[in-house]
Formats: sequence, structure tokens, C-alpha cells
Amino acid sequence: MIAAGLSNLGVLAQIAEFTPLDTPEVQWAALLPLLILAGGGVVLLTVSSLVKAMAAPGVNAAATVLVGLASIIACVPVWQRVQDPERGPFTAVGGVIGIDGFSILATGLIAASVILAALLLDDYLRREDIDGVEMYALLLLSASGGVIMASANDLIVMFLGLEALSIAIYVMAAMHRRRIESQEAGFKYFIVGAFSSAFFLYGIAMVYGATGSTNLVEIATFLANNLLLRNGVLMLGMALLLVGFGFKVSAVPFQGWTPDVYQGAPTPVTAFMASAVKVAAFAGLIRVFYLALGTYSLDWKPAIYALAVLSMIIGATFAVVQTDVKRMMAYSSISHAGFVLVAVQAGTEKGVTAAIFYLTSYVFMVAGSFGVISLVGRRGDAAHSLDDYRGLSRSRPGLALAFTVFLLAQAGVPLTSGFVAKFNVIAAAVDARSFWLALIAMLASVIAAVLYLKIIVAMYLTGDDAEADDSVAGPKVSIPLPAAAAIGIAIVATLAIGVLPGYLFEVAGDAVPVLIALP
Amino acid sequence: MSVSTATFAANQPFPMLTIIVVLPALGALVVALVANRRTETARQIAILTTVATAAFAAFVLVAFHGDDTGFQFVTRQTWIDDLGISWALGVDGISLFLVVMTAIIFPISLLAAKPGHDDKAYYAWILILQSGCMGVFLALDLFVFFVFFELVLVPMYFLIGKWGHGDRIHAAMKFFLYTMFGSAFMLVGILATVLLNAKGTGGAITFDLVELAQNQAIATETARWLFLSFAIAFAVKVPMFPVHTWLPDAHTEAPTAGSVILAAVMLKLGTYGFIRFGLFLFPEAAVYFAPLFLTLGVVGIIYGAIVATVQRDLKRLVAYSSIAHLGFIILGIFALNTQGIEGGILQMVNHGVSTGALFILVGWIYERRHTRQIAELKGLQKVAPIFAAAFTLVMLSSIGVPGLNGFVGEFLVLIGAFASARWWAVVAAAGVILAAVYLLWAYQRVFHGTPDDDNADFPELRWHEGLVLLPLIGLIVFMGVYPKPVIERIEPAVVALIDHMEAEVPGFAENGGPTAPEGVELRDVRADDGHATDEEADH
Amino acid sequence: MLLTNFLMLSSILFCIGVYGVLARRNAVMVLMSIELILNAVNINLVAFGTIHGSISGHVFALFIIAVAAAEVGVGLAMVLLIYRNRSSIDLDDVDLLKG
Repeated sequence: MIAAGLSNLGVLAQIAEFTPLDTPEVQWAALLPLLILAGGGVVLLTVSSLVKAMAAPGVNAAATVLVGLASIIACVPVWQRVQDPERGPFTAVGGVIGIDGFSILATGLIAASVILAALLLDDYLRREDIDGVEMYALLLLSASGGVIMASANDLIVMFLGLEALSIAIYVMAAMHRRRIESQEAGFKYFIVGAFSSAFFLYGIAMVYGATGSTNLVEIATFLANNLLLRNGVLMLGMALLLVGFGFKVSAVPFQGWTPDVYQGAPTPVTAFMASAVKVAAFAGLIRVFYLALGTYSLDWKPAIYALAVLSMIIGATFAVVQTDVKRMMAYSSISHAGFVLVAVQAGTEKGVTAAIFYLTSYVFMVAGSFGVISLVGRRGDAAHSLDDYRGLSRSRPGLALAFTVFLLAQAGVPLTSGFVAKFNVIAAAVDARSFWLALIAMLASVIAAVLYLKIIVAMYLTGDDAEADDSVAGPKVSIPLPAAAAIGIAIVATLAIGVLPGYLFEVAGDAVPVLIALP
Repeated sequence: MSVSTATFAANQPFPMLTIIVVLPALGALVVALVANRRTETARQIAILTTVATAAFAAFVLVAFHGDDTGFQFVTRQTWIDDLGISWALGVDGISLFLVVMTAIIFPISLLAAKPGHDDKAYYAWILILQSGCMGVFLALDLFVFFVFFELVLVPMYFLIGKWGHGDRIHAAMKFFLYTMFGSAFMLVGILATVLLNAKGTGGAITFDLVELAQNQAIATETARWLFLSFAIAFAVKVPMFPVHTWLPDAHTEAPTAGSVILAAVMLKLGTYGFIRFGLFLFPEAAVYFAPLFLTLGVVGIIYGAIVATVQRDLKRLVAYSSIAHLGFIILGIFALNTQGIEGGILQMVNHGVSTGALFILVGWIYERRHTRQIAELKGLQKVAPIFAAAFTLVMLSSIGVPGLNGFVGEFLVLIGAFASARWWAVVAAAGVILAAVYLLWAYQRVFHGTPDDDNADFPELRWHEGLVLLPLIGLIVFMGVYPKPVIERIEPAVVALIDHMEAEVPGFAENGGPTAPEGVELRDVRADDGHATDEEADH
Repeated sequence: MLLTNFLMLSSILFCIGVYGVLARRNAVMVLMSIELILNAVNINLVAFGTIHGSISGHVFALFIIAVAAAEVGVGLAMVLLIYRNRSSIDLDDVDLLKG
């Protein structure tokens, strides 16, 4: 026995000697934005449980904001390296992480969502008596998952990113201990999320079976070089992947969970869900379909076409009949997802640029909107019906004006980011000769406009005659400084992109995803 | 081909048009910074801003070279480089008087009425609205045009919804959604035009109006669809017959200033769009669809007149009369000849002045009596003769009585239409008679007879009200008696437009084609003075 | 060893799982159904990995097992939370959010 054991050891030693473990080279510098987010989350959790001073109000939020800022700053050198024509995009960690303009911009957007959400959370958590470090740690971990998903070059990695993103958010959504709706939202999101992940995985397995690889580069090369005579497995895989992504971006008919979850989750978390999760999910969708499965675009385009049309129209129509503002925004987010799908459907570089442009604008619009909603919700996070907004223009004219800007931006009124974003999407669709889709998109945005006008009416125009306006006192809303800062940032971004879109155009134009194989 | 050789004035050192567009918005910003209680300050700033804008517009009017066919005062600044979008503004004979009229109407509508509550926001919105309207009339870039075309919705929405009467929220919503519905088509149309043009010429993407119009690189069939996509947006804005239903509501429920601006300026955004973007960009399609639009225009004339006749609400009556008048403008534009289009442009200005004045007067009646129901008003002439006289003059101008401005425009439109679309012109002429019927009948019911108790102490026109009306009445008379300086400046641009169409559309000749009446010799109005148009009636 | 057999097995498991998620009202049963789908995926991945002769299928299956464990941990915690508040884990009772 002992001898056998020794000989075994000898064999092991031999193996270790002759084949040293082949670990891939890791470009730490390129991963810095991701590492800052993930490491920040872990360190924050550890330090906060050990150091008493961290329990002081605002410290956790400030730390989270700093981590988010650091992550954005860390993106800058990587971006410059990628845009340097001599160096260009590259892969990290043995070819499973793709560092290109697209993934860096998505990283920046997710980090920006973290900052906005943290600013909104600060006062919210204290107001609701659930202050603590957990929410911030989860926020950062979830964001790191989103970043992994957006830069994944391998389906395994994308899955891991998706799960890291999702699991943290399930918990965040259910975090409000005393609000039973919050637990319900978390649980519903969990069931649907796990279900959709399972579809996603089944799809990955099918694509793996058809192409023999989970690496996006290898899949793309395989599909470009081999004509599959019987591509049933691949088609099934594509369909299931689309279902999985459809759940994540909440496209109709996979949208059922969205209104419930958006309504039930703590409002700052909803802001994060609507911004960061959408960015990450769309980034993944674009990587998989536009890059890896681009050869089969003729097969997936009609499906995305249908999803886009359904999402835009059903999202807008259902939004109009709601009375709860959070539900309204949930349905409107479905409609917005349809718009991004219009850009994806174009299947061109222009389309991808339009999609990332739209997402950039949307992050700020929607985070700002939910920021206002979070404040108007007040203690208990319950005052979300349209009636709770009556007369807001009197009691809080600044807040009402801010919300108006966000709503008009979402409606696509010129000189706001929403208009330029829509303009871009329509241009991409028209360029790809999808005239009808472009027209449907514009008409859906007219339907959606009813919704935004309804909220504006509630804030500004109440009663039947002029005198009645004065009698409505409006809700007493307190506006804490961090939340005001978040809304301010969102306003500035929304208007700046709307008035001077040229700069973002250039950035989005440079943020084209590319597949780079290992050298 | 004078358009293609259009000389762009070199970039002016002083960006006059940019100032005209931006100044009101800056004024709005200043108004927004004024303290809430100081409503008078806000009002003064607003009026000052509009007057300053009017001064700049007056400078443009004076410095405008009347015999130049191209755009003048051109400003061009790159906005979004990647998409070939630039901040391009320019004015030519077609837009000149619309700009001037806008500059005049805004201060007058501010002076004519006060909001009653939330003054600060009211003035800020009106000023933003002026920026938007100016932007639409001056834009030479399709993107810039669309931005302003959409932007004007927001201030008007708030003006109607917050300071209006009755079912104002519903009216505001309807107004917003109808127009947005139209714009939805146009945005797709604009992008398709731009991208197909880039494909057709193989050049870079450009949103430049003149460049797009000169290239004509889009296949005929496609261009027709694109024309329709623009036309839907403009038709809603005008509004033309089947999509007009937002107008009576919006007009009736809007506050006085809102109604005035809506009628005088905002409806013209649509008709102006037809000339500038419909005819200029898609000449072939315009010729192809002319019968359709002539018919809709004529239907609008007759329909508007008949419905106006049966209205019980004075403001609603004026609103429907607008539909009839705008029908005339459409008729003139789609007559597709110099007289018709000139008449159309002239009529845009005339309608702005006279209907604007009518809305102001109706607003004052409402202010005094708190009702607009014709049945409840009676014998006002006895108690307020000067008021009645002003109303009479404005009304006669609206009817189109010779010697007043309405006549010149309508007459030119009818001449133009008679030359190229005889039967439409004949039916439209009946509309002139109908206009006389509904306006005179309404006048009779409101002003004649002996006033009952409610109307006995109807206040007379106050002196400051008279001062507000004076510029409008002056214009009504001046343009009726001596329209030559106006026509002179409009004409070169219109002739250039027609030349452009003749060059681009095979087989299209002004006043040619089977519908051209024999024996009617059309002379060039340019050679005559204003009174010469009267002589042409003798033919 | 036929690939088809494995695919058949996994697709049957997948269908049972999907049916379970959609039809079962008990939250724990729903969680188990999701596990069933994940295991169907694992069978697929291992089978494909063997056919292709590549390791990544097997590795992926291991990843999925690990992640599924984490996921179910969170899921069961939430079920517990809901049970404490409602004394029921019937999904039909979770119906506060409606529009």
C-alpha cells in the first residue's frame, strides 16, 4: 500500500515535472476596471464588518461611489490602448475576455450605474431602516458580473458573469425586509431568472454541440468555414439563447416578470436593474449574436425583428393603462428594450453603434427617473401611484422639472439624449432597409408618449380649471443631497448628450465589438 | 436652374439668424431665473425679448436683397460631424415674411393677454416656443428642421394644458399626439432620404437641404413614398382635412396667446414644410400627388366653411375658418405655379395676421363676458362701437374683401389654381362665398340687435388694447393696398423653385399640361405693381 | 454509444423541468424543476464534450454544478423568507404585485 502510494506520488511528481501547469497569461492592467469593482465589493464587505467607523452614515455609499469612479478612471487607459491603431483590441486571460471599445464602454456604463444607484441608496436605506454594507457589496459584485458578461469572449465566462450579475440582484431585490412586496419581487425575479438561465445554458450546450467550442472566436470561425448541412442543433441553440437573453433584457413575450419585479424591488435597486442589467444583457446579446453567430444573421434577424415589434408595441400599450408609476416605467423599459432590439436587428456596425448609444442615453434617463420615483415614494417606498404625483410641480418644482426632462427624453423629444438615441436607431434600421420596422418603432414611441404625458399631467396639470391648480398642495418630498447629486448627474448627461451628441457619436463609433483570437 | 446656381452669401461675420433663433430661448432662461413673485418683471423681460427679436427680424427684412434667389444670411456650423449634420440657417423669399410675421405676432400675443396664474412658466414657455418656430422657418438642415419641428410641441402642450380652458388637458394631449404621429413618419422619411441620397450619389451622408434637393439621387418610385412620409407630418400640422380634428379642440381650449400663436405661426409650419421640403426635395412626387392634395385642400375649404357656419362657439368658429383658409394655402401651393405658390405664401402671412387678430378679439370678448357662445352675445355694436369696428375690419380681411390683405392672397391663389387646376379653383371660389356667409352671419348675431342686460355693460376697447391691435390692423390695410414690396421679395425665390421643378421633372412645365386653360394669358406679376393684380380680374 | 440517446434523455429531462416550473405551484418543487433543467444541460455538455473530444464541455458541466448550488442556496433562503411571512410556499399566494 505504502509502496503503491509512494509510486503514485512519484507519478504525480513526474507529471508535475514534465508538464508544468499551463496557466494563461493575465493582462492585469486590462482587467483593472473589473478587478476594482469585484475587489471593491469584497474589500468593502470585509472592512465594513471589521471597522466600526464604517457604520457611520454615508461612508459605505461614499466608498461605493469611489470604487465606481476608480473603475471608470481605470477604463480610460485601456480605452486609449484599444483605440491606438497600432495596438487595437485584444484578449485577456487566455482568450476568454475580449477587451475592445464595446466592452470598455459597457464597463464604464455599468460603473456609472453603480455610482448612481449608490447615491440613491444612501438615503433610501437609512429612510427604510435597512442601512448596512450588504447592499453596496452586492451592488459592486453584481456590477462586476455585468462587466464580465459584457466582455466575455467565451460562453462559459458569459454564463458566469450572468450568474454573478443575477444572483446578487435577486438578493438586492428582496433586501427590503419589512416590505413584503420586495421579497415577492426578489423571489419572482429569482424563479424567472433561474428559469431563463437554464434556457440560456441549454442553448449554449446546443451551440457547443453544433460547433465544438464555447469560445466565441472559434464558433465564429467554425461557422464561417463550415457549411452545416443539418443545422437543427445550431438553430435550436440560437433560439434558446435568444429566449435566455429575451428574459434578461425583458423583451416581449419574455417580459412577464418585469412589471412585478420593478414595482416590488426597492426603487434604487430598480434603477440599477433597469440600467446596468439592460446594458450587460444587451452587450452579451450583441457579442453572441452579432459577433459569434453573425454568419447566421439571416436566421436570427427575423426572430429579433418580431421581438422588437412586440416589445415596442406591447410595452408602450400596457404602460399607458397602468396607474402605478413604477409599473409604468417597467413597461416603458420593455418598450425601450424593443428599440435597442431594432438597432440590433439591423445586424450592422451602425446598428451596434446605435444600440450602445441608446443604452448610454438610457442608463442616465432611467436611473434619473427611478431616482425621482424613489424620492417621491418617500418612507415606506409605497407612494407610487399616479395620484401621489399630483401637484409635485408646486411642492417640489425642481424635482418635477427634472422628472419632466427624463420623461421627455424617454419620449424622444429633441435636445434630449432620448431623441438622438432614437434618431440613431431609426437611422440604423433605415440603413439596413428595415423601413417598416423603423416606422413601427416611431409609431410605438407615439403610443409611449401618452404614458409620459400622463405623468407630466399629474405633476403639472391637475383639476379642471385654473383655480383648482392652486389648491393642490402636492406631496411633501424631502430631497437628500446624494440623491439630488445622482439626479443632477443624470440630468446633465441627458441634456449634454441631447444638445451636443457629437462626442458620444465618436465614442460609440469607436466602441465596436470585435472578436480577437489568441495570438 | 437658378437654384443650383444659388449663391450662398459668405458666412456673415454676425450670425444674425442664430441670434433670432437663440435669443428667445435665452430670454426664457432669464425669465426662469426671476423670482416667482415678480410676475411683472417676468412679463417685462419676456416682452423685451420678443421685441428685441422683432428688431433683429426687422433688420433682416431691411437688409434682405430682394432680387436674390438663394438663401441669405446663411450660417453654417458643424453640429454632428459623423452624420454630416450642421447648424445651417438661412432665409429666402419664401421664409422671410414668415419670420417677420412670427417676430410680430409673439410680442403682440404677449401684450394681448395675461396668463392669470403661474406667470413665470407661461412666459418661459412662450419664449421657447418662439425659438422653436423661428428655428423651423430658418433651418436649412433636415436634422435641425426636425429638431425644431418636434420641439415646438412641448411648450404648446404646456400652454394649452396649463393655461387653457375647459377640457384643456384632453386638447393638449390630442394636439401633442397627433403631431407626434405625423412626425413619426417624417423622421423615417428624413433618414431614408438622407441615406438613400448618400447611396445614390456615393458621397458622404449629408442633411443639407440644398444639396439633397440638387442631387435628386433617389429613384422616382421611392421618392414618392418619401414625399408621402413628409406630407403626413405636414398635413397633420396644417391641418388638412382628414387629420384636422385636433385643431378645433386645441384652438378652443388654448389660452388667447396660445390660440393666436397656434393659428398665426404654428399652422404655417406645415404649409411652409410643404413648400420647402415637399416641393423642393421631391418635385416629381409633388407633381404626381398634386391632384390628391388639391382635392384635400378644396375639401378642407368647403368642409371648414360649412362646419364653421354651424358653430355656436365663436372661438370654435374661427378655428374652423382656419381649416378653410389653410385649404386655400394648400390649393395655392399645389397649383405648382408662380402665382399659386406666391399666393399661398402671402396667404400664410395674411391668415397669420387676420386670424391672429380675430383670436385676440374673441379672447377679449371672453375676458369681458366669460362666454364665447354666440347665442349669449348680442348687440355689442351698440355698447362698444370701436370694438365692433375693429372686429369688422379684421373679419372683412379674413373674408377676403378687396382692399384688405386677404384679397390679394386669395386672388393670387385662385389665379394660380385656375391656370393649372381649373375645376378645383372653381369649387374653391365657392369657399370664398361661404366664408362671407359664416363670418357675416356670426357678426350679425354677436354685434347687431339691441343688447340684453348681460351685454349692456360690455366695456369698450381700451386704449392699450387698441395699441396692441394697431400693428395688425396696419398690416391688414397696408398689405391689402400695397402688396408690391412683399410680393417682390417673395417672387424670386418662388420662380427659382418653379425653375428647379421644371428642370428636375421631365414633362413638367409651369401652367403646362392638359389642365392649362386656353386663352388665359398669365403675366408675370413681378413686372406689375400690386394693383395690377386687380386688373387681371378683367381677363 | 449514440449521441442521440443522450440528447433524447436530456431533452426529456428538459421538458419535464420546464413543465415543472410552469405547472407546479410549490416553490420548492419549482426549484427542483430548475435543477432538472440544469442537469439536462449537464448531460448535453458532457455528451457533446465526449463526442468532440474537447475538455470544455466537462469543465462547463462542473461550473454549472457549482453555480447551481449557489443559486439554489439563494433560492431556498428566499423561500424560507416568504414562508416566515406567509406560512405558505404556494406560488399562487405570492400575488401582491399586480397591474
